[in-house]
Amino acid sequence: MKNLVLGLTAVSTLASAGTAFARDDKPEARPWVIWADRVYTGTGTNYEAGMVGTAGSKISIVAPSRGGDEHDSDQVLRCFAVTSGLIDASARIHNGPTSVEQSKEVQASLRVADTLDPFSIEWDRQVRNGVTTVLVNPPDSNVIGGLGVVLKTTGADSIAARTLKSDAVLRGSMGTEPSRGNHPAFRTPTDFYSRRPTTRMGVEWEWRKAFYDAATAARDTSRAFPGSDQLIAALKGDLTVSIQAWATQDIRTAIFLKEEIEREAEFENGLDKPRFFIDAAAEAWKEPQLLVRARVPVVLPPFPVGGRTRDNAFMAWDVAEKLRKEGIPVALSSHGSTEPEECLALQAGYAMQGGLPFENALAAVTSVPARLLGVADRVGTIEVGKDADLCLWNGAPFEPSSRVIAVIVDGVLRYDGREKADAK
Amino acid sequence: MLAALLALAAPLAVATSQSPAGSVAIRADVAWLGDGRTLENATVLVVDGRIADVGADLSVPAGVETIRHRGYLTVGMIALHGYDGASSREFRDDSRPVLPDAKVGLVFDPTSPDFASARGAGITSLLLTPTPEGVAPGLTAVVKSAGRNLLKDEAHLSLVFTANGLVANREPTSLSGAVQMLDRLFEKPSGAIDRARRGGLPCLFEASERTDVLRVLEFAKRRGLGGAIHGVALAGEIADEIKPSKLAVIVPAISVGADRRELRSVVSLAKAGVPFGFGLNSPANNPADLRLGAALCVREGLDPKAAWNGLTSEAARIAGVADRVGRIERGLDADLVLWSGDPLDLGSRIEAVFVDGVRVDGDKR
Repeated sequence: MKNLVLGLTAVSTLASAGTAFARDDKPEARPWVIWADRVYTGTGTNYEAGMVGTAGSKISIVAPSRGGDEHDSDQVLRCFAVTSGLIDASARIHNGPTSVEQSKEVQASLRVADTLDPFSIEWDRQVRNGVTTVLVNPPDSNVIGGLGVVLKTTGADSIAARTLKSDAVLRGSMGTEPSRGNHPAFRTPTDFYSRRPTTRMGVEWEWRKAFYDAATAARDTSRAFPGSDQLIAALKGDLTVSIQAWATQDIRTAIFLKEEIEREAEFENGLDKPRFFIDAAAEAWKEPQLLVRARVPVVLPPFPVGGRTRDNAFMAWDVAEKLRKEGIPVALSSHGSTEPEECLALQAGYAMQGGLPFENALAAVTSVPARLLGVADRVGTIEVGKDADLCLWNGAPFEPSSRVIAVIVDGVLRYDGREKADAK
Repeated sequence: MLAALLALAAPLAVATSQSPAGSVAIRADVAWLGDGRTLENATVLVVDGRIADVGADLSVPAGVETIRHRGYLTVGMIALHGYDGASSREFRDDSRPVLPDAKVGLVFDPTSPDFASARGAGITSLLLTPTPEGVAPGLTAVVKSAGRNLLKDEAHLSLVFTANGLVANREPTSLSGAVQMLDRLFEKPSGAIDRARRGGLPCLFEASERTDVLRVLEFAKRRGLGGAIHGVALAGEIADEIKPSKLAVIVPAISVGADRRELRSVVSLAKAGVPFGFGLNSPANNPADLRLGAALCVREGLDPKAAWNGLTSEAARIAGVADRVGRIERGLDADLVLWSGDPLDLGSRIEAVFVDGVRVDGDKR
């Protein structure tokens, strides 16, 4: 079996144009010492020259260089810069249509984790791009599609073993995606695709109905239904709600829903504390005061070619910077894109082109998503005691001329592209 | 147990002494007993369809016909996954995703030519399986390839974990929806589901990818289920994960042109000690592929004994019929094959096939 795994690695190595995975038979955490010209911890303390050490699966030391103590050994890695492993709060490494149950509009109890494939080559792609932690959501074919999972992009060959936080978010969508294909073009309806919702109005109605039904179930357990527990947890704020909304009318719909829950008497007894964040909020720049008013963070999609995203939303270079100035927490994401120019690291670079300072760009792909997903105690910054998830760069991070040359996850060197970088 | 032995022994004794007409003895240069043991100059005494005795220097009762075979004698092979004897659409009622009590043992035509070609290839028992679609499509059955004999009409409860089993216009459309539906079934169990939950009925877990296997392992652990996983050509690559579950693996049909990686996966199963047998998916696949598949695995490093056990005794255990078939042993059904040479050599020919002691193929005298 071990040889087979190596054989497979060899194949994927060829496919990735010469990159080499440091995937041993059974890779284990070993102590690493990383010397870098720049250590960007993400905590506000950076070192012009410094080192990060790992022990087991954790970071054991972060320190400035004292000079003269940099012995080379097979446990030493050298690079220009080291950052925390990147976190994508909208990664979509799912199994396609079989990852979302479409027999009903609202499927709050279903776990996308039950549908993921740890052997998919998509994970390797993420690791090569420096992404070490991701939120994977069910595809947005439903109004409420189920429970997303936060997990590492590499590690054991089991989704459960890689999971940082199961049932991390309740995922659903506004806009046109949940209703696509529901309207019979002709003939009479024949199956459950010919159904409500067929419009944005219908989508919003399903959201509201789901939460009102859950509030009823909270008062009267005989009214419970599959998913009511998860919806109640969302109303109480115990389960974060991730809503996809690209265009400004859909973003405001989500915010009005949150404010209605906070306001209406049906949601008393602690059911009025929902925590939302908006994913793919391309047009959040149009009415940022709404996001401030409702205390709703956003995850931005990749910057679109030609300026227009799905649902015809417009997104410019400076969206992240505009939102930062309003005090809105912003995370960047690839939104599951597999296009090389839409990888997460480049999104941070694009946001910098739009004016976002480097420290904020770094936070937008590390600590901000870590907090949004409730895993900031484990990942998102380089601090002693946190998971040893590290991304090594041969130049300034996020710049198009720089490359990720090595990635450590849980103390294990999972990607080693140093030779490739040298050859460049 | 003792009572069963006595019940078995009594008619045998009567038959031996009174009715040599229902008896035959086969003397072969080499016998593979199916449990890994080899016996030279072996004699097998068959009385009334059962193996009455086996040994190297067995004395044959007077009047019993003796077949002298210059070659190998083995037990018949068992194909673990197929749809013989009826059109494949008959093997699943697609009106609903859950029909756990449907029996494929009732759909097959025992006179179908599918069974003639199976026994001609040395296959004497077949595990008939519901088509892996929906969530719980029915119960498997074990049949003989001759004699119209339904060996076991409830061998496994079939549970589907492969994405191929999903249809786009009916619940479940997703893997998560399928898991939820299965959980609902086991939370309010009845019929076959209840028997499986109580441990009285093994499960046949239909899968196709390695990730399906991981979901099977989790579900089987959560619900305390045993049985076998079918359909995952690369299952051996996660043999270490499968091993603690005690689930067996039914290797999906192997044919000419099989990927070496898939063949080596079978070798990995054997090395890890995961019990395995071979599927065939007949009649779509040629019955001769069953032996060919095992032989190709041997070419990639599989121990020939493990390969042969996977075709016989281990397959019988997986099918839940090890008390009847799968080994040359006193009291078991006389399902026997005479080969011209080593059964795993592709050049060896089948010279005779016996099912329940009756010659059903070949012209060897």
